[in-house]
Amino acid sequence: MSEELRVSSIETRGVPGKRRYAMVIDTRRCIGCMACQVACKAEYDTPLGVNRTWVPYKVTGKYPNVKKHFLPRLCNHCDDPPCVRNCPVEATFKVDDGGFVLQRYERCIGCRSCMAACPYNARFMLPSHRTYTPITNVVDKCTFCFHRVTQNLVPACVQTCVGRARVFGDLNDPNSEVSYLVAHNPTQVLRPEQGTKPHVFYIGADRNHTEYGRDAYRRIEVMESEHAAWKKHFDL
Amino acid sequence: MDMPKVTRRTFLKVSAAAGGAAAAAPRLLQAMENELGGRDYGPVTMAQRQAIPYTCHVCNIQDGAIAYVENGRIVKLEGNPEHVSTRGRLCAKGNAGMWYTYNPDRVLYPLKRVGARGEGKWKRITWEEALTEVAQRLDAALKEDPNTIMLKWGRDRTGGALIRFMHTLGSDNTMNHTSVCESSKKVGLEPTWGPDIETPDFSKTKYVLNFGSNVLEASYFHNPLSQRVTEGRIDNHMKIVTFDVRLSNTAGYSDEWIPVFPGTDGAVALAIGHVILRDDLQDSEFINTWTNVTVEELKEHYKSFTPEWAEKISGVPAATIERLAHEFATTKPATVFTYRGPAKHLYGSYNEKACMMLPILTGNVEKAGGYCLPRGMGWPQPNPKPPKPAKHAYANHHHHPLFPLASHGVSHLTPFDIFEGRTKVNVYFTYMDNPVYTNPGAQAVWGQLFKDEKLIPFFVSISTVIGEETAYADIILPDCMFLERWEPESMPNSLWPWLGIRQPIIAPLGETRETRVILRDIIHKLDPDGSRGMKQYWNFKDGEDYMRQHFDNIPGLKDVGGLDFLKKKGVWPIYGKLDSRTGKVVDKTGREIKAEYELYKKELSDSDMMGATIEPNGLIVKNGKAIGIRRNGKNYVGFPTPNRLLNVRVDEWAKYGFNPMPTFKRVPWHETMKDDELVLTTYKFNVHVQSRTASVKWLAEIVHNNPMWINPETAKKIGVKTGDLVRVESKVGYLVTKAYVTEGIHPKVVAIATGCGHWEYGRLATLKLNEKPQFGGTEDPDLKNVWWDDKGVHPNIIIPAIADPIGGSQAWYDTVVRVTKAGPNDKYGDVFGDFQKHLEAYREGLRFTYKGDLHRKMHPEMAHWPGPEQSQDQGQHS
Repeated sequence: MSEELRVSSIETRGVPGKRRYAMVIDTRRCIGCMACQVACKAEYDTPLGVNRTWVPYKVTGKYPNVKKHFLPRLCNHCDDPPCVRNCPVEATFKVDDGGFVLQRYERCIGCRSCMAACPYNARFMLPSHRTYTPITNVVDKCTFCFHRVTQNLVPACVQTCVGRARVFGDLNDPNSEVSYLVAHNPTQVLRPEQGTKPHVFYIGADRNHTEYGRDAYRRIEVMESEHAAWKKHFDL
Repeated sequence: MDMPKVTRRTFLKVSAAAGGAAAAAPRLLQAMENELGGRDYGPVTMAQRQAIPYTCHVCNIQDGAIAYVENGRIVKLEGNPEHVSTRGRLCAKGNAGMWYTYNPDRVLYPLKRVGARGEGKWKRITWEEALTEVAQRLDAALKEDPNTIMLKWGRDRTGGALIRFMHTLGSDNTMNHTSVCESSKKVGLEPTWGPDIETPDFSKTKYVLNFGSNVLEASYFHNPLSQRVTEGRIDNHMKIVTFDVRLSNTAGYSDEWIPVFPGTDGAVALAIGHVILRDDLQDSEFINTWTNVTVEELKEHYKSFTPEWAEKISGVPAATIERLAHEFATTKPATVFTYRGPAKHLYGSYNEKACMMLPILTGNVEKAGGYCLPRGMGWPQPNPKPPKPAKHAYANHHHHPLFPLASHGVSHLTPFDIFEGRTKVNVYFTYMDNPVYTNPGAQAVWGQLFKDEKLIPFFVSISTVIGEETAYADIILPDCMFLERWEPESMPNSLWPWLGIRQPIIAPLGETRETRVILRDIIHKLDPDGSRGMKQYWNFKDGEDYMRQHFDNIPGLKDVGGLDFLKKKGVWPIYGKLDSRTGKVVDKTGREIKAEYELYKKELSDSDMMGATIEPNGLIVKNGKAIGIRRNGKNYVGFPTPNRLLNVRVDEWAKYGFNPMPTFKRVPWHETMKDDELVLTTYKFNVHVQSRTASVKWLAEIVHNNPMWINPETAKKIGVKTGDLVRVESKVGYLVTKAYVTEGIHPKVVAIATGCGHWEYGRLATLKLNEKPQFGGTEDPDLKNVWWDDKGVHPNIIIPAIADPIGGSQAWYDTVVRVTKAGPNDKYGDVFGDFQKHLEAYREGLRFTYKGDLHRKMHPEMAHWPGPEQSQDQGQHS
């Protein structure tokens, strides 16, 4: 990307000498097995009621021509993240080398501005109770498994992906698998009109199935009843 | 063939092929990709975690895995990257496996019942007290008859310890669970192919006909095969067609979902076979060389199975059948996969057989991308071994007198054999089983049985939790979870055979002991000084010592260190390295490792042939044992059947009046269904096993309720929409649940998943979270975040126990129900099953057995069969 097209000084896509990690999710390979969602829960001791990654689905068509589509979701680690801009205390920030959008728990005041700013509903408030991790009552999100990636491992969801639908790597390296996939396939990002420059790229995600706002891809009727229970429980 | 002359054209062709090979070779310029696992770091502490390999046992796929430990706690599980089948990945259930260990409702010390049976009143006792009481009751039973000691397991992966225990006691009364699982599939296959089930080569195939298997969610072998299905579909451009009554994730992923009327997959498969033979698309050479029938015989036999005939039965249009038959027969390589869809019906064995004929007809057998036989490995048992019991039990896990062909038992009829006095029980052991929840009739049948102290005088449960069955126990011996015990493993879950182990990741929690140690302690209590001759079979220090006796002398493994190698790696052999770019196992040159195919065409060596004789039909016999078969002048090992051929005609079936050739029988009560009647089927979610996962919080969060699937057209007729309460009534009971209206189901079918609706199994499964952990478990603060208040409704109580007269399999998907909008007095979660009606339904089902009065009526083609009297001697124990 040329210099003049870049909007924000923090963007690292195409910047020489910097890594820009990205995830490619090939929805043609996603079987909706939920392994990623559970592996992520285990990796972070994520409490019930909130998720760093999740896999909504949608059934389309009329009997007997019916299909089922899955759309794995997570933080898009945007190159121009609105959550960072909207945090009043600089608790959320972008790592220059790599492009991770992370959260400083000790600075977070729990104001939820970032949650409101995120067009992908990828952030959540941690509840008071967790199994063994002492971080509570602050906003949390997917970190692209910063602690694993810096040890030269892929994120936990990629590691366990049964269909190998999730591929992770450095988009600034033209020889990486993610670069290869993005170069050789038509890809889609979620809500491109928001100008966030998401770094989760989908292969085979039909726009008709992704444009469902923040709750993309959930069974509407189930979602309604479950949200009611969820809201009641967390007193929202 | 003559050598082709090299013209410019052929030269170009050759170059193109070489170019193709270069494309398949590793890319030249590659980034250093991040590794796909094998190490783990704490996200808060950033410290590297201790890694211990093991074999997963949440379900029975047996994925190779690694457990990571931080501060003495198992915090993360992942696939073992050195495991050839698993390739570093685990499913959702496997990733959540530590919650079996840390389930706050685990039983961590021995318990004794103090109230009435099933009342839920328990007293903590010591191991000494527990073992003394069990030994006393066993002693009394042994005096009467060792066969009055019964052990029924749900899942036995002890590698032989349970059988050793029962044989030590001299009891033949062992029972499994296979008849509620896939048994008719195996009975449909095994007489033709040899032991166990197929391994379709999904990653290399171009075409798949999938009959009723939900391999992308459950089934054998979910994780390893799902990996290969996605590879085949995206990298190899295969087409997959799924026949199912319901849009499972597999059907939803397939290129085509073909809804069929329940139990009619066999008719569709026969019609596809008909088209193949009619249009001469079969592989005649393969059939004539490698099966016990000829193409002419098959052409004659398949004549009546026309697509029009199948359309009337199954609802699948004849034109679709014609098209699929041509696609399947002309696309090479192609394969077939089946699982419970065709098999779990009254004549499920016939259905399975009809489906697995298709790879035989087209010669897609043991080929790259075809239908391959299983590749497994075994291990020796420690010496000395107890002798087989002197006296046969009425029925056991591979034999039932009314089902002589059901080689995997008819476990779900056990309570009726006890009720009617054919099986007498003094001491009943249960291990990793839960029939009160998982079997047909559920609490109405098995609950009735366990409540009765006359029929089950003493009930010992070796268990980790109090499930629906253990709730009725007299004594609970607290078992270890799979992450705390030693077990040998092997499973044919890819084309590469392997041996693996389970080893304790952490010390057993509380006072729990691992299964083989519990069994040893019981035997040692019974025979403390060895004078009864029992103690000699239980001569090991601990679980690890027992594993040494299994693994230290296996050729090949012994050279690299035996058990010590397995303790370090978890699996043997290591076939290659996981490529972080492709996720495939590669050799030293970076190319994907290759499987061996056409195992049946392995030629016997001169030393193999030394002293062997060749019979006129080609069978090669040595020391009275068939070792191979001579075909086209060569000595091959052949197939693992007694005659070394694929037995399309199964003569053993004809002895009991069953059709030995591929055939189809419609479920009689489906033919007479009224307009307002529907067929109830059940299914498994991708995040649950049959009964053990409702207490696992991460899985329960994803799926905790199971509304009844119903087609919009059907829902409109009875006036219900999603969320409305419905009353589902069968001839043995009724239940009240919620409707989920979806396009993804056959209009004549409703589907209710299993895995939800528990009434025991701990506080999370039953949503009684205001109580405290009772049996020594540590509370998980995260359970305060449980936000759902609907635990679902379990359907098994309204499903009668009917067994396939051939395979002995429970007819899960045959139940006729009436669905109506719930009345004013119906409450969500109401269930009722009438024991007397269950008993009547069971007796009605027996009328189809080879001794029953409906058997002949169902088999007019077998008029020449002399009748059951002549077959009786063969019905005895083998």
